[in-house]
Amino acid sequence: MAQNEMLAMILAGGRGSRLKDLTTKVAKPAVFYGGKYRIIDFPLSNCANSGIDIVGVLTQYESVLLNSYVAQDGRWGLDSKDSGVYVLTPREKADEGLDVYRGTADAISQNIDFIDTYDPEYLLILSGDHIYKMNYAKMLEYHKAMNADATIAVRGVPMKEASRFGIMNTDGKGRIVEFEEKPAKPKSNLASMGIYIFTWKPLRKMLVEDMKNPNSNHDFGKDIIPKMLNDKKGLFAYEFKGYWKDVGTIDSLWEANMDLLDPKNPLSLNDSSWLIYTEDVSTLPQYIGNDAKIKCAYITQGVRVEGSVTNSVLFTGAVVEKGAKVIDSVLMPGVVVEEGATVTRALVAENVRIGAKARIGSKNSENIELVAKNVKGGTK
Amino acid sequence: MMSIKAFGIVSSPDNSVHVEGLQDYRPIGAFSFLGRFRVIDFPISNMSNSDINRIQVYVQSRPRSIAEHVGSGRHYNINSKRGKIQLLFSENSSSRSIYNNDISAYLENIDIIQRMHQEYVIIAPSYMVYKQDYRQLLETHVASGADITLLYHKVDNAREYFKNCHTLSLNRQKGVQSIGKNMGTAKDKNIFMETYCMKRDTFVQLVKAASWESSIYTLSDIVNIKCKDLDVRGYQHRGYFATLTSLNDYFNASLELLNYDIASDLFRAEWPIYTRTTDSCPTEYFESSKVTNSFVSNGCLIEGTVENSIIGRGVVIKKGAVIRNSIVLAYATVEEDIRIENAILDKWAHIIHAKEIIGEPDAPQYIKRQDTL
Repeated sequence: MAQNEMLAMILAGGRGSRLKDLTTKVAKPAVFYGGKYRIIDFPLSNCANSGIDIVGVLTQYESVLLNSYVAQDGRWGLDSKDSGVYVLTPREKADEGLDVYRGTADAISQNIDFIDTYDPEYLLILSGDHIYKMNYAKMLEYHKAMNADATIAVRGVPMKEASRFGIMNTDGKGRIVEFEEKPAKPKSNLASMGIYIFTWKPLRKMLVEDMKNPNSNHDFGKDIIPKMLNDKKGLFAYEFKGYWKDVGTIDSLWEANMDLLDPKNPLSLNDSSWLIYTEDVSTLPQYIGNDAKIKCAYITQGVRVEGSVTNSVLFTGAVVEKGAKVIDSVLMPGVVVEEGATVTRALVAENVRIGAKARIGSKNSENIELVAKNVKGGTK
Repeated sequence: MMSIKAFGIVSSPDNSVHVEGLQDYRPIGAFSFLGRFRVIDFPISNMSNSDINRIQVYVQSRPRSIAEHVGSGRHYNINSKRGKIQLLFSENSSSRSIYNNDISAYLENIDIIQRMHQEYVIIAPSYMVYKQDYRQLLETHVASGADITLLYHKVDNAREYFKNCHTLSLNRQKGVQSIGKNMGTAKDKNIFMETYCMKRDTFVQLVKAASWESSIYTLSDIVNIKCKDLDVRGYQHRGYFATLTSLNDYFNASLELLNYDIASDLFRAEWPIYTRTTDSCPTEYFESSKVTNSFVSNGCLIEGTVENSIIGRGVVIKKGAVIRNSIVLAYATVEEDIRIENAILDKWAHIIHAKEIIGEPDAPQYIKRQDTL
């Protein structure tokens, strides 16, 4: 891709409050996933693999960890001479004073000066909290071929669930004729993935106008896209067929981790042509002890297993001591399950200790148990 | 990171050392170690953790794997402006020639060595594995007023192990009287860890003196000769120590670390061993997998049985396959129902047709890189 033809902006300000205690101190894009990754590694790696050089990351909610995490752009190979990952938090401005990002479009509007320094032809807008692998260069090709003003990535969802999503109705040739947010009676099953490519100049003009509009929510879905449709601009749907997850809840985060245990799992993190990059750690490889029993598990370096692990995902540095059992669970980095403890259908947060002989969760529970605090040892 | 008054040299072994099989493809420093490391990660991490940020790595032959692995050195936590890792090659084309020794390599690069700003040099081998804080070595060296300080390890199994390693004869004051060779004649020996601490100027003089006296002298030869004139002392190392100068040594040193207590002594949170990431995903264990007492790296697919073994990155072990007491290097594949015992499978080996590959604990079977059996 030619230098700075397309710049990417990742919206990473969301809290993800349904992830409860997992996001009290970090924003949702920084939540751990898949044994060694954080969710934002996916859009960042996709950018790197798609040949995008400049990525702006728009953060707001509890951004300390996220800001320092993404600033180390070498992790994704985005540290060559003309590339970089830039953290863009709300800032005080000479004429308006300090302001927060009021909506997704406003976050971009407030950084028009940043985008202008690179003078891109196209702007790619991504969400920082989705898990998927996608080649944005192909989407850009489509955008150009359609001579579009905006291209929106969509994916087919089951028709009966379509009323939970923002649905794009097309003319059958890819042109979007109508956008309905959570329609009671959906006319199509093409849900917006929150991934947009805009031709920058016309978008820039719209954003400047939108900033001045007191009746606007300054949101792409609520304001910018409807206005573009109203103005008869060229909006096209780009259908994506791969694995895609927006993990909104503890259950869905657990489920997305469990998806990795399926040998035919379509996310295929093993594919060397499209690796997902992340923080590098200096640890031993995983050590599997003398009495260990492992069946169906996804385990990363630095883990030590002396007990039994079934159907579970274990993150960096997790320890399962002798006689401990971990079943249908996710252990985030640094979790220790002490001797004889049992963890079933649970998601255990970073660095939590489960005391000896404690019992967490149950086989038939309706929901996945989130364990965010140390658990004292049990007696049995 | 603060920097200390010493620069580091990571040395190559001399030509008397040859590790069967593995070394045909890469120098010992580039050997895979414990699945995710290469041997050279140990001396470089020791230096980096000791606040040494100027490091010269000497490479004799087949430089590709070392050059690729060390790269810019950023992953070794060295400041990219204040610090630098240099790869230095000896131009001497006949790599197996007796003339191509450490002294000739230092002599070829003597101008670079002389230009270093640091007053002291720490020289450590690329073919041994141990953990050592060189700040302590340097402090002791400076406080003692010695000309040269040598790192050694006391062993009580020199009859069976550490064959051909250099040994130190020490007097009661830890003064080094001579450097010799371990011929396996006694059980108690002070094995010389080929690690030196001295002033840069002393080092330059030794290099020049060695080449003046004989073109086949090595650094240890000249230090041995100078023991009479100079104040040479020993500094005792404690903890895990392995030399990797034969296939057996490599095999034993690796499997010894399957004792988790020994491994966790070598790998401590406050003394990280850095390596180059390959961005492989976690390892997947399937329904039929049975893994015990093993180190497994990332990116593997395991359906079979693994016992007392070390599995490198991206290894595939199919259903019914059994791997025991073996080292499987990265990207090797073992097909269904194959039995492997006491073996070393080199990178990209593919075991399909051979039903069994069985070596002996004291004579592991080596399978070549990219071989299909």
